[in-house]
Amino acid sequence: MTDLAEATRHAFELLISGDADLWRIIAISFEVSGAAILIATPPAILTAFLLAYGRFPGRRLLISLFSTLLSVPAVVVGLTLYLLLSNAGPLGDWRLLFTQKAMILGQIVLAFPILVAMGHAALQSVDKRAWETARTLGASPARAFWTLLRESRFGLLAALLAAYGRIIAEVGASMMLGGNILGYTRNIPTAIALETSKGEFAQGIALGAILLLLAFTLNGLLHHVQGRGMARS
Amino acid sequence: MSPPLLEVRGLTMSHGRRPLLDALDLQLKAAGCTLLTGENGAGKSTLLRILAGLEKPKAGAFRLRQGPWRSWRRARKGLLRQVMYLHQQPWMFDGSVAWNLKFAIADRPARQRNRLVEEALEWVEMRPFRDTPARTLSGGERQRIALARAWLAAPALMLLDEPTANLDQASRRRTLALLERLRDQGIGLMVASHDPHHFEGLADRHLRLVAGRLEPRGTPAAGGRILPIQRGRA
Amino acid sequence: MSSSFGQARVPWKRRLLLFLLWLLPWALAAAPAPDRPVVRLATTTSTDNSGLLRAILPAFEQASGYRVHVIAVGTGKALRMGRDGDVDLVLVHAREAEETFVAEGFGERRFQVMHNDFVLVGPPDDPARVADAPTVDEALARIARARTPFVSRGDDSGTHKKERALWRDAGIQPQGAWYLEAGQGMGRVLQMAGELGAYTLSDRGTWLAMKERLPLRLLFAGDPRLFNPYGVIAVNPKRHPNVNHSGALALIRWLIGPEGQERIGAFTLEGQPLFTPDADPAQLEALR
Repeated sequence: MTDLAEATRHAFELLISGDADLWRIIAISFEVSGAAILIATPPAILTAFLLAYGRFPGRRLLISLFSTLLSVPAVVVGLTLYLLLSNAGPLGDWRLLFTQKAMILGQIVLAFPILVAMGHAALQSVDKRAWETARTLGASPARAFWTLLRESRFGLLAALLAAYGRIIAEVGASMMLGGNILGYTRNIPTAIALETSKGEFAQGIALGAILLLLAFTLNGLLHHVQGRGMARS
Repeated sequence: MSPPLLEVRGLTMSHGRRPLLDALDLQLKAAGCTLLTGENGAGKSTLLRILAGLEKPKAGAFRLRQGPWRSWRRARKGLLRQVMYLHQQPWMFDGSVAWNLKFAIADRPARQRNRLVEEALEWVEMRPFRDTPARTLSGGERQRIALARAWLAAPALMLLDEPTANLDQASRRRTLALLERLRDQGIGLMVASHDPHHFEGLADRHLRLVAGRLEPRGTPAAGGRILPIQRGRA
Repeated sequence: MSSSFGQARVPWKRRLLLFLLWLLPWALAAAPAPDRPVVRLATTTSTDNSGLLRAILPAFEQASGYRVHVIAVGTGKALRMGRDGDVDLVLVHAREAEETFVAEGFGERRFQVMHNDFVLVGPPDDPARVADAPTVDEALARIARARTPFVSRGDDSGTHKKERALWRDAGIQPQGAWYLEAGQGMGRVLQMAGELGAYTLSDRGTWLAMKERLPLRLLFAGDPRLFNPYGVIAVNPKRHPNVNHSGALALIRWLIGPEGQERIGAFTLEGQPLFTPDADPAQLEALR
């Protein structure tokens, strides 16, 4: 296993040396996934709210649908969007394929079901009295909505962290939609896929280490947040 | 004789297939206190929630301050604004007591808000609880904060659902005292309870919900007037 | 006597601002800068992995002002991307497929750029005795006879097509437990061959880049049939008017022109030259 040890050592050297390519890859990862989460969250939370508090035909079906979409493989999302965005496809004129925007789109599609399903659970778990109290005290529906978000903020934050965790590590959609272009659409997971296919274990491990560090931090935050949420109810 | 704040005609409601309210009529003033009694499950809570704009009835016409008669849906905004509903166990938002109180006066400037919060805490004698997390309060303490919150919001009409049901003796007396002060300040009250004797001193009118309709009961409150209520159409 | 409940309706200006703020991350996502137009080049993974493009393209970018986005996929996918118009030009090494591509009207014209070669690598003890075979046909025949493990790309890539053509020309139908179709890239296949003590056909570039880490040896090379010619084809603008045709032509002109050709020849991997530039000067004239 000296190969692994050697690769790990090289990985640390890369990380602290400030290798420009490496840090560009990391930056792209955060930019793309950050943008995707920021764009996906408001409509997802609104949808979760409508599912929790609305009353319309097919509501239960929609809730089931979003839970099902949690299991869709990233590469399927990537392929579907690829066919749509390709020049030969219906949205080809938008020329989005192989751009960061296309990656963001793919990650939005991946994050959305998680945000809705978990957001819905969080909002559902708030006592209905909260909404009623807000309204009867004179709050507009908008303000009552914000209050509801505040009451369920720990559950919502958990949803956000879970969604972010999924998209920062996914490779299926990013690879297909971004094209893994160096300096532009190469993010951590697609870089790992490339480097390991070339046998460049050191680079792959360095990137993997960063991803693991991030996942660890996210999970730590998640558990801390969930614990706090439970303690306060 | 002051005009009624809220008038209701032909109010009908059912829970599933079980009929609850049967073409009920009601008038409420923005003054005095009406006691509402009835069996458990008779529909008292439902009636209160409909009047506050929180639950939709099957049928009924509503009129606020002698304005036009409207469906519940149309009248809802006005109901939410003028009528306040207090849950049997009031809901405390996830924050401090002060935060909960400020919720009722969010549209006032900041300095006024702080002053009003102090006044409200004073009113319920809970000054030291200002920064306590509201969720840690006992049932009786929550009740007082809920009333302080309601006092700050100053609705025309306040509907209370079994306000003393889960409280001990001391808290019940306290609540009663606060309700009296609210009534004397000119806020109309309607209290639903299955323990009428407790509220005899407070209420100047007593209505009983029976078979989906309201029947007046005599109440010998000193100086109180018994307002005649139309029976529903036969 | 009731206090003013609730808030005023959120003014439309505020709502518009919030909406724009919401879309801000989208707008900020890096887009190809308009002052530096992008040329999209699809090529094969082995080409990209050799590092050639990374080494020579910056010179083109500086001289022309274009920015080149290189998308490295398998040959089949690269040609498909050209066919669909998702890239502006393709650089692959699969002669037959390239000519079909042009014949079907997806590309205008094929330009020869360079060639490298394929090599046969295998376990150092060379159980099939490939090293002293006189021709590549004989080398493959010896592997088939000895039934020593052979890992194939199996992914319809340029390398794979070449491999299949070589078996075909040698009159051998490779099948059996010894013939393993991996369905992976060249790097992975070499790793597999290393793990299994198997033979495989590799492009010289990937081999040079990886050989230090592999328990394999280069056993056979030099047969002209192992040469691997590269062609570059601009996507036909009549099929896809919205490709960057002028950018594609600029890149092609540079690649087959004197500067590109010189840089290709000067490129080394592990101290060894990898590609032999062999563009036809007459073709360059045709482009002027």
